[in-house]
Amino acid sequence: MTEPFLTAKHRILRRSVRSFCDRELSPIAAQIDQEARFPWEVIEKMGPLKYFGIQASRELGGAALDSLSYAIIIEEVSRISAAIGLCLSVHNSVAVFPIMAFGTAEQQQRWVSELARGQKIGAFCLTEPNAGSDASGISATAIQEGDHYRVNANKVFVTNGGVADICLIFARTDPAAGRKGISVVVVERGTPGFVVGDLEDLCGVRANPVSSIRLYDCCVPKENLLGQSGTGLQIGLVALDTGRIGIAAQALGIAQASMEEAIRYANQRQQFGVPLSRHQVIQMMIADMATQVDAARMMIYRAAWLKDQHQTFTKASAQAKLFAAEAAGKVTDLAVQIHGGYGYSKAYAVERYYRDARVTRIYEGTSEIHRMVIAREAQKEIMSDLHIA
Amino acid sequence: MTFHIIVCIKSVVTGAPSGVVKRSPQNSQLNPFDWPALEAALQMKEYNKGSVTAITMGPAISGEALAEAMAMGVDRGILISDPALKGSDTLVTSRVLAAAVKRIGKFDLLFFGTRTSDSDTGQVGPQTATLLEVPFISGVKQFEGQVGDWTVERGMDEWEETWRLSSPWSASINQHAYAPRSIGLDSLSEVFDRINIEEWSLTDLDLATEDVGLAGSPTRVVALKKLRRDRNCIMLEGDAQVQMEELITHLNKAGVLA
Ligand SMILES: Cc1cc2nc3c(=O)[nH]c(=O)nc-3n(C[C@H](O)[C@H](O)[C@H](O)COP(=O)(O)OP(=O)(O)OC[C@H]3O[C@@H](n4cnc5c(N)ncnc54)[C@H](O)[C@@H]3O)c2cc1C
Repeated sequence: MTEPFLTAKHRILRRSVRSFCDRELSPIAAQIDQEARFPWEVIEKMGPLKYFGIQASRELGGAALDSLSYAIIIEEVSRISAAIGLCLSVHNSVAVFPIMAFGTAEQQQRWVSELARGQKIGAFCLTEPNAGSDASGISATAIQEGDHYRVNANKVFVTNGGVADICLIFARTDPAAGRKGISVVVVERGTPGFVVGDLEDLCGVRANPVSSIRLYDCCVPKENLLGQSGTGLQIGLVALDTGRIGIAAQALGIAQASMEEAIRYANQRQQFGVPLSRHQVIQMMIADMATQVDAARMMIYRAAWLKDQHQTFTKASAQAKLFAAEAAGKVTDLAVQIHGGYGYSKAYAVERYYRDARVTRIYEGTSEIHRMVIAREAQKEIMSDLHIA
Repeated sequence: MTFHIIVCIKSVVTGAPSGVVKRSPQNSQLNPFDWPALEAALQMKEYNKGSVTAITMGPAISGEALAEAMAMGVDRGILISDPALKGSDTLVTSRVLAAAVKRIGKFDLLFFGTRTSDSDTGQVGPQTATLLEVPFISGVKQFEGQVGDWTVERGMDEWEETWRLSSPWSASINQHAYAPRSIGLDSLSEVFDRINIEEWSLTDLDLATEDVGLAGSPTRVVALKKLRRDRNCIMLEGDAQVQMEELITHLNKAGVLA
């Protein structure tokens, strides 16, 4: 049997990433979660192997892989550590990718060449205390004064925030222009006025240094504007279309790991004289887990494949993200259930997976927002078909 | 001529076989015992500025093992595949590999894994070397030198041997000796942008169908039976003394202490 969408490249990729993660990340995954510690020792090994430049061009130090490869890498890393999967997903898809897609050659040279090699870490700063799902409600400003922008922002829940060097800041360059007055300005750590806030004390993905980032009268050269002035929300949407594939793959990795643990446990734990796996009720749970995981995987690979074929993938990636995040919720819940009391203890990995899965329904667009996107796209498709008919 | 190492690798079946195995990408992978051989070759290639060729004999799916080797840094991959090869035993495999090595031409070192995870014979390396009439050292842990003069260490359970020899020589590489490198995403991506695996058939090797496959194989696997290991968990109760005595009774009964 061969899986649809996958080629020899993807299979070898999966094996290579898995063996790297088994060797380097697996032994510390539980510990970095408990200590909420960012594992520099592993990050430094991922850099030269190009985990931070998955889709960046080779001239800029990246691996120039396709989106399907990207999804597989995030899935495999998240199978071991969702926090590091998150780090890579955000860095690659909503920091490096928009610079590759919208940046000038100079900007790419300046930022991507270091980001792709993992010498610098990227962050995506959209959310504010009063603007979450409604990104157009942000109040950060970047006001042009001669040859520079003066940036003021209070960004919260910044993935990689504690370690980020290069931040994509969404801010109003034309406060009077509403949605059309929002732009993306790249601000580097160390710029005077750049302040990293306290790390969030999170429920899951604890090894990721999610923090707030505040900018007080930060002056950045006007060359730091990404794309056209006023196109910030479009850039954000394009970035998030891609980012969703990553977050969906993260959810899938967590679900896959939970299912594996649950099946192992069910075959070894005996109650009523037989392994748990011999009880029909447990078998039903395993069937549901396996089906959710496979369905999520196919939806994600399809979305990535569509992107690689340069086809429209907004609906497909939103569906994949929605489904995979919900699936991860169900599968991790069942995995805890199969473990009984042990699943509620930090001594067993499913406890961590259960916590990690929860956030996939929230970030890069909540499940509710994804349903709105899918509903809009689905209706657009059908209604335009009707017009043709 | 530049320094050249040939490594013979195999795509093995993962999981315990039951009956006839249908090969698929999901149950095939590069023999884990070949990784150290590849790693040893790549380190020496970098040191001596040469090149590495990997060859494999097997069904088409074995091309993936070659691609993996190439992503690690191997320069040339050759797949020997032919319907007539089906059913070949280790002697035929060695005959085919020896013919392929001859066709490739000049080499300094010829490496093998110590064994395969799906057949476990350890015969192919020494047999191929014998057919080629090159010296063979098994279980090499370390080696250094250049074309003319090599020092090779081979480990056994309780002692170590040091050999001196000149090229060409062949070896199987100790499974623990060379930790394989992690594959860089960029090198994987580059390899697949210009993947070029050469495919050779019997005619390329001047071998006749009767020399290979079941026809050419003096040995045959007549039966394959999965061994059952019955593990029993017995909880012993009482104080330490009682438990110890009971344990000894159990071990005696099982014939472990007798
Ligand atoms: C660990 C973590 C990492 C994050 N990383 C980043 C990052 O790197 N960069 C970044 O910019 N942000 C990041 N976020 C923020 C995240 O994207 C937001 O939390 C998310 O978009 C939701 O916004 P909110 O929290 O303000 O919730 P709200 O928008 O206040 O939503 C609250 C609830 O109301 C629902 N809701 C909102 N509007 C509607 C509507 N119109 N119809 C129906 N229901 C609605 C939501 O679905 C949700 O259930 C991160 C968050 C977390 C927890």
